[in-house]
Amino acid sequence: MGIPTPSRRTVLALAATSAIGVAVAFTGSSAARPGSAANAAANPFAKYGNVTLNVWSADNQDPGPKPVIEEISKQFEKKYPNVKVKLTFKAFTDYMKVINLALNGNNAPDVAEGNQGYGTDALLVRAKLIRPLDGYAKKYGWGKYYSAGAAAQFRWTPDGKTFGKGNLWGVGQFGQSTGVFVNAARLKKLGISTVHPKTFAEFDALVTNVRGKLPKSEPVITLGNKDGYEIVHAWGMIQGAYVTGKSVRDWIFHAPGATFDTPGNAKALAVLKRWVDAGVFGTDYNAVGENDAAAAFAKGKGVFYMGGNWQAAVLKAGLGSGLEFYNGPAGASGKHVAIGSTSLPWHISAKTKNADIAAAYIDFLINAKSGSAKLMYAQNQIPAISTAPKAVGDPYLSSIAGGWQQLVKQDGLTLFPDWTTDTMYTTLGTEFQKFAGGKESAADVIKHVQADWEKFDKKLK
Amino acid sequence: MSSPEDRPRARRKLSGRAPGAPRRVAYLYILPALAFYLLFTLFPLGQTVKLSLYAWDGVSPREYVGFANYRELFGDERIRAGFGHALQLVLFFSVLSIVLGLFLTALLTRFPVRGLTFFRTVLFMPQTIATVVVAQAFVWWYAPEGPLNEFLRAIGLSGYAHTWIGDFDWALRAVGAIGTWVTFGLCMVLFLAGAQRIDGSLYEAARVDGAGAVREFLAVTLPGLRNELVVAATLTTITALRSFDLIYNTTSGGPAGETEVPSWLMFYNAFDLPHRVGYAAAIATMLTLTISAVALVLGRLSRAGE
Repeated sequence: MGIPTPSRRTVLALAATSAIGVAVAFTGSSAARPGSAANAAANPFAKYGNVTLNVWSADNQDPGPKPVIEEISKQFEKKYPNVKVKLTFKAFTDYMKVINLALNGNNAPDVAEGNQGYGTDALLVRAKLIRPLDGYAKKYGWGKYYSAGAAAQFRWTPDGKTFGKGNLWGVGQFGQSTGVFVNAARLKKLGISTVHPKTFAEFDALVTNVRGKLPKSEPVITLGNKDGYEIVHAWGMIQGAYVTGKSVRDWIFHAPGATFDTPGNAKALAVLKRWVDAGVFGTDYNAVGENDAAAAFAKGKGVFYMGGNWQAAVLKAGLGSGLEFYNGPAGASGKHVAIGSTSLPWHISAKTKNADIAAAYIDFLINAKSGSAKLMYAQNQIPAISTAPKAVGDPYLSSIAGGWQQLVKQDGLTLFPDWTTDTMYTTLGTEFQKFAGGKESAADVIKHVQADWEKFDKKLK
Repeated sequence: MSSPEDRPRARRKLSGRAPGAPRRVAYLYILPALAFYLLFTLFPLGQTVKLSLYAWDGVSPREYVGFANYRELFGDERIRAGFGHALQLVLFFSVLSIVLGLFLTALLTRFPVRGLTFFRTVLFMPQTIATVVVAQAFVWWYAPEGPLNEFLRAIGLSGYAHTWIGDFDWALRAVGAIGTWVTFGLCMVLFLAGAQRIDGSLYEAARVDGAGAVREFLAVTLPGLRNELVVAATLTTITALRSFDLIYNTTSGGPAGETEVPSWLMFYNAFDLPHRVGYAAAIATMLTLTISAVALVLGRLSRAGE
């Protein structure tokens, strides 16, 4: 998924139909409600008179992020009674095709989500459709919310060419990372220990062990690779055993000297190939979409699902207490590295007359204070910021929230590799499908992926 | 006193036109249609051609680049492969459909069946269903555990079961087969209508001469259907070359680009992450030229025999 892929978001809509709602207790809920009279006393925005804040979002899944955003917006209106928040939700794929045009139009939204990477955010920055948020970041202390490595995904030079450096143009609300979902009940039935593997080598051995015990017709790792990109998520966890998060991000950001042609990537591709050839993923994966594969895993097909935490609710609904989660086990470095980023970054339109109010609203969305973390957890969403209260009570949700925080703390979020060029999403999908299908060697994959990167890199120079 | 017949004649003389020659007032009659055609077809077409000479992301100021988009287009392997895939789709949408349509027409004209109208309607039905619906139905039909594979396994042909639209070798053929399913009914209805116009005495003469079913088909039915054949070929070929919705809703160009066609690549470049409106316009222009050329050649073919 480029991550921008529709699937990481649409799946939440599925979760809705399966009616889950993992109940969670959490800490830090005792803070004052933002709407309370005490807070309403000083309204720095009173001088603006009646204001309507137009907000566009692609996080339209319900249950999921949509009710969280709606509820936080209501709290914002309560705190600043002269401000009305008008929310417009669109499905991800539709949204990304119109957001540049909407922000360029006469009725541009005041606040809107973009999408990290050279495909969307670079365009919004380059075309001067959004404004830098550095001043507001200082005012609201956003620097404490994101590690330097995580904040890099929002940084661009004003020409939209250098990624990962320069001004801060947005901030993300939810944490979305990939990890290993285990059908522990099934492992037990196969007579295999359910103790979480400590290292990638242990995990690799576990996968091989399960392959030997499962019927041939069933995959060990359930995968839906119809878009070609889903296997890259699984691969990201293998890759994480051999490379650092920073090295992948440097490549995504087009740092000088960065290349896909590294010994670590070659080793990770070799492991992937060994798994494919051993039938670890079964045979159907290229015909099945990500959401269908998640649904099949939730119904008991396979033992592992290596994918995004945005599938957490769907998987939980199917497998209940037999389901466990951990980050992709660490390699020799002892550090966890996996694909992940915040949700779509919130931006402020360059055309808005109410930038101060817009910034206050964005702070409300992300700060995870005053009960909004509780709202997020209740909708199976993980707060992105490092200062968020922990999820406690439900071990499954805690492990997913903890998984995100672990990747942030160990600087292990690689971000999404398709962000590095405007065509990399399809290039990676094509190359990995051909690789898994035995039509290309690892060397071919490395060569073609790097060729796409270099072609784009030249345009940036 | 002039007779009523004289009056029009007199008028014609006044206007100085030969009898039957078009009158200028006729342009007035086509004006509304022409205005719409100009506004909604020719003008956007001109815009597209113009855009194809620019580099433009849809938002920033556009930059004139001359024929750079076209130069890139001709060197772009993905585009070339896309046109290749579209040509293969023509085999399914057009050639196979016409052969099937002819076969059914020959059967139904030689051996009249009861309830012909019913069969004709049923076989034409796919043509009337929205492509999105057709695509979804076939995605289900082709699924790894779907009816097609289950059927193959049930009759002991599990070795022939594939992931179809997820299979490198089968995806394009599987999508093409959907095209055949959609268009063969149209061909058949066209041919049946055409066959009814063929003079019955030709068939009698053929039978008197001792022609069998095959000979009769080749000597009488086929030549009599020349115009219908051209119409069917033109319509189905155009459908094949510009097919977008079927691809978008079944494979989205996958696996590994095996089913990418020009119209899909145009959409991808214009509206997906590349945001290359100018390049997409160049693809659209090339596709339009290709389709126009095909239509022109087929049109010539139909007139050549007259």
